[in-house]
Amino acid sequence: MEEKDKMKTDRRFSSDLPEFRRSVPSPPLFMSSARLLRLAIPLVSTHGFTREALARSVLTLPSSEAHSEPLSDTAVTALFGEGDIARRILICAWLDDGLRHIQSAPPRSTLKQVLRARLEFNEPVLHHLPEAFSILASPAKSVFLLDPRPALQHAAKIADEACHVTTDMSLQLAWYAQRGSLAAIYTASELHQLTSPETAYEFLDSLFDGSSSLKSSFDEVNLFSSYISKSWAGIVKSSGVF
Amino acid sequence: MLSLSRSLRSSLPKAARLNCPRYITTQSSSTTPSSSETTTSRTASFGFKTVPEESKESLVKDVFDSVASSYDLMNDATSLGVHRLWKDSYVSALKPGRKGPMRCIDVAGGTGDIALRILDYARENYADRETSVAVVDINAQMLKEGFRRFKKTMYHNTPQISFHEANAQALPSEVFPDNTFDLYTIAFGIRNCTSIPSVLEEAHRVLKPGGTFACLEFSRVNNPLLSTLYDQYSFTMIPLLGTILAGDRDSYQYLVESIRKFPPQPEFAKMIREAGFATGDDVDGGAWQDMWGGIACVHKGVKL
Repeated sequence: MEEKDKMKTDRRFSSDLPEFRRSVPSPPLFMSSARLLRLAIPLVSTHGFTREALARSVLTLPSSEAHSEPLSDTAVTALFGEGDIARRILICAWLDDGLRHIQSAPPRSTLKQVLRARLEFNEPVLHHLPEAFSILASPAKSVFLLDPRPALQHAAKIADEACHVTTDMSLQLAWYAQRGSLAAIYTASELHQLTSPETAYEFLDSLFDGSSSLKSSFDEVNLFSSYISKSWAGIVKSSGVF
Repeated sequence: MLSLSRSLRSSLPKAARLNCPRYITTQSSSTTPSSSETTTSRTASFGFKTVPEESKESLVKDVFDSVASSYDLMNDATSLGVHRLWKDSYVSALKPGRKGPMRCIDVAGGTGDIALRILDYARENYADRETSVAVVDINAQMLKEGFRRFKKTMYHNTPQISFHEANAQALPSEVFPDNTFDLYTIAFGIRNCTSIPSVLEEAHRVLKPGGTFACLEFSRVNNPLLSTLYDQYSFTMIPLLGTILAGDRDSYQYLVESIRKFPPQPEFAKMIREAGFATGDDVDGGAWQDMWGGIACVHKGVKL
């Protein structure tokens, strides 16, 4: 770990350090390949989450460093891994870029506005997202057919970041409940956006309205249940069974 | 074709000639980056011993001269044939010829193991008959073995293969100009080089921008149980096999010692970056890929 920290402060690499470290894919990439990765992100809209996008990242380097040809497949494998591993890295980098997009939301934004901004971030690459999510859901080293963890992590990170940006002050169980509901709202909205992009924002608004009424209903049920349980506890005590 | 650069060999300074070790893991003490001697003369490690740099080069040469004829047999015996799997995996991961013909240079590849695999892979998988490999080795005996091996193949007397006697730390620029090659491979050879940074610098020089450096080498085993078993096997069986099969215990004693002197994976990855290459992250699967728990390891870098 000390050697890694040392490398991060090395002047050759410090300019490539990402500005935030809260949500970074694990493991973080070394600076040179990380730089190419960030250059590849804008190419996703035209080339998709493909090795081609990674290979063409060297074409977008500053003119003094730019290559005349894309990287060879061997070079992409050497830097990012073979096959879909490289694509996974690109997808994770793009998702992290989405988190940075959330962080750049204007101050005093509401949760609805933050999630809306995140859905807008999907629009340039919307047609590539189903394949990207399927790659993430395909386990790299597992006997299972599907791995739900990347999807859950994706929604959880967005919910957590949105709460952080809007300075959510929830505590204890409410902290988890708030993030859980936001993650569910965002996941449903994003899935809706993949099939019906035009109505995605209305759907998001309806989910927010529904969740607020759901929350109040849940609180009332909780309160009523506590009354009932206390009543029964009193009855059992007074019956002399214990 | 065997194009021995004898004039170059004789013109090169003697000290410079012995740098690049062949991938025979016999004796060849290479100076590790961390070695620092208090004496004024430059020294290098030769297994667990420390010798003057000039002496190491001649020692390495003598070692490989003596083992050249039984090199393949000893590799099979000491690794129980596993080295073939490592080399197959090494070459197949590079996928030579996938996106068209490649100019490759295989350094310390005297007997042509890797070169043959590269050409076969490109031909069998991508019908590529234009990919070429320049085999470079400091030892003429090893190159002769490689030349003899290739005479049995379809690549003999074709532009796809050439043999060069040269020093990996100082590749002659007339024969190996800057920005020439798409792929630089060195398998079980860099460990024996006197100055690993010099080898890496030369690799960076001869590779084109976007070219790949790939090094297969014995490395550090981190699993304690496997490490214990590996040490036991290395220090008892391998020298014994060297005595029985090759009649040369000392060479193979050097082999196992030199493996322990080679930098561990993160350190070698750092050296590759310091030479100017871009690598993946400092984890297994990033800048390097361990094979068999780290017994062998493939380090890769890209010249950007």
